[in-house]
Amino acid sequence: MFDYTVITNNIGLLWQGLLMTLYFTVITIGAGMLIGLFIGLIQLSTFKPLVILGQVYVEFFRNIPLLVTLLWVYYAFPIFAGINVTKFWAGFIGLSCYVGSFYAEILRAGVQSVDPGQTDAATAIGMSYGQRMRRIILPQAFRKMIPPLAGQSIIQMKNTTLLSMITVPDLLYQASYISSFTYRPMEVYTAVGVIFLIILVPLTLLSRKLEKSGSLK
Amino acid sequence: MSASDAIAREAGAVTDKSDKPVLRLDGICLKFGDKRVLNGIDLSVVEGEVVVLIGASGSGKTSLLRCINLLNVPTSGSIVIDDETLFDRQADGKGAQIPAQEVNRIRSKTGMVFQQFNLFPHMTALENVMEGPVIVKKEPKEQARQKALQLLDLMGLAQHVEKYPRQLSGGQQQRVAIARAMAMQPKVMLFDEPTSALDPELVGEVMKAMVELARSGMTMVIVTHELGFAFEVADRVVFLDQGLVAEQGPPAEVLLHPEHPRLKSFVGRFHESADLLRPFLEAREAEKAC
Ligand SMILES: Nc1ncnc2c1ncn2[C@@H]1O[C@H](COP(=O)(O)OP(=O)(O)OP(=O)(O)O)[C@@H](O)[C@H]1O
Ligand SMILES: [Mg+2]
Repeated sequence: MFDYTVITNNIGLLWQGLLMTLYFTVITIGAGMLIGLFIGLIQLSTFKPLVILGQVYVEFFRNIPLLVTLLWVYYAFPIFAGINVTKFWAGFIGLSCYVGSFYAEILRAGVQSVDPGQTDAATAIGMSYGQRMRRIILPQAFRKMIPPLAGQSIIQMKNTTLLSMITVPDLLYQASYISSFTYRPMEVYTAVGVIFLIILVPLTLLSRKLEKSGSLK
Repeated sequence: MSASDAIAREAGAVTDKSDKPVLRLDGICLKFGDKRVLNGIDLSVVEGEVVVLIGASGSGKTSLLRCINLLNVPTSGSIVIDDETLFDRQADGKGAQIPAQEVNRIRSKTGMVFQQFNLFPHMTALENVMEGPVIVKKEPKEQARQKALQLLDLMGLAQHVEKYPRQLSGGQQQRVAIARAMAMQPKVMLFDEPTSALDPELVGEVMKAMVELARSGMTMVIVTHELGFAFEVADRVVFLDQGLVAEQGPPAEVLLHPEHPRLKSFVGRFHESADLLRPFLEAREAEKAC
């Protein structure tokens, strides 16, 4: 029936895969946040061409399946650009740009949900655009953004499994590798599912808690 | 406030007031899309003067007030505050281009109080009042703090300085908002229906704060439907109609002897609904006549 030894015998490979998955989750969320902040602010500017540029970016990456983006960055981009892209860089770029587009939307929606009266009041006391954003608008917007940011970041961790398609040795890649020589995919993929649950469920609970304390303040 | 009080103030006020205009609007036009909201407003307000703007809903009172600090950017016209040009654009598009930094600096010479208070919800009352001086004027924190505490004390809020807006009543919030605007040491204070969002029993405390402000010699432009307040406190009442100044003058003239037909019906409506006011106003008239 369920053969635990398949997992215990290959725990080292799974561990390596998990580290790779976590590594990519963290760095692409970090880079994605920077991209999201940048693109989100561009979309919120009053300069039309910039706004459109931001929209194009967001719609582009949000609407193309992530797998297509990853494959395209890895296989097609080097041909067009004439530079060599390693699978690590391809994975990093594809995943960061993808999640960045979602973060940008979250930021835009969060900022736009702040009462315009806040902008009026801040402007009336003589604040510049930057001062308004930093001191008044973003602090209020961030509080509302915590739940969707947490949600998107959890999805991002699951999305890193697509890295296996461009042969980055993440958790899923190791799982398929282990199944290929043990012929026990059920045990291996169950283990992968459990690992994701163990990591993501506490994070979900944490984000709920943050959301509560945020709205209390 | 007793009638004699008001008269004494008026007597004093005449000598107090200089002829130096603090605010000068010339030919302010404003369009939203194709909709013409302001059609060439000229208005000059001298130091220490209290001007009350009245007019029917949609006549452009809020729009005009928001033009004064450029929250609304006029289509054309010019705005001078304390001898500095904040805005200048002629109908043909020509005019001085004022850099954003200058706009922010000059605009902070006006203080604005909104109908919905618009306090910063993530800051305490004290932080709300300190925000402008510390962030915009770069005043040292301790100095700004002392000044803010003083202002909040003047507004009767000494007990509430550490509270967040949501812990305060509407009347208290509005007084924090007044203190926040005053903290920038404005040359002119702009009020847009400051008591309209308040429960009736809270209107008085905000009115009282405004009366005190007026007595201290503050220049004020106030949009309000409280005609009693206009009568007591205003030096001049300006009636807006369809984006134009239709009539203006001392409150007794404008409110008791309106000439413009629409002002007649506007004032009449208020007087009818508060007919209690009429005997009082007439008594005042008689008193003045002697
Ligand atoms: N942002 C806007 N976009 C389009 N139209 C607007 C905007 N703000 C105001 N208006 C229009 O301009 C006109 C004047 O509005 P305004 O708010 O200045 O009137 P008001 O005299 O303050 O009225 P109220 O007594 O109801 O506050 C109204 O017809 C209104 O619909
Ligand atoms: Mg209005």
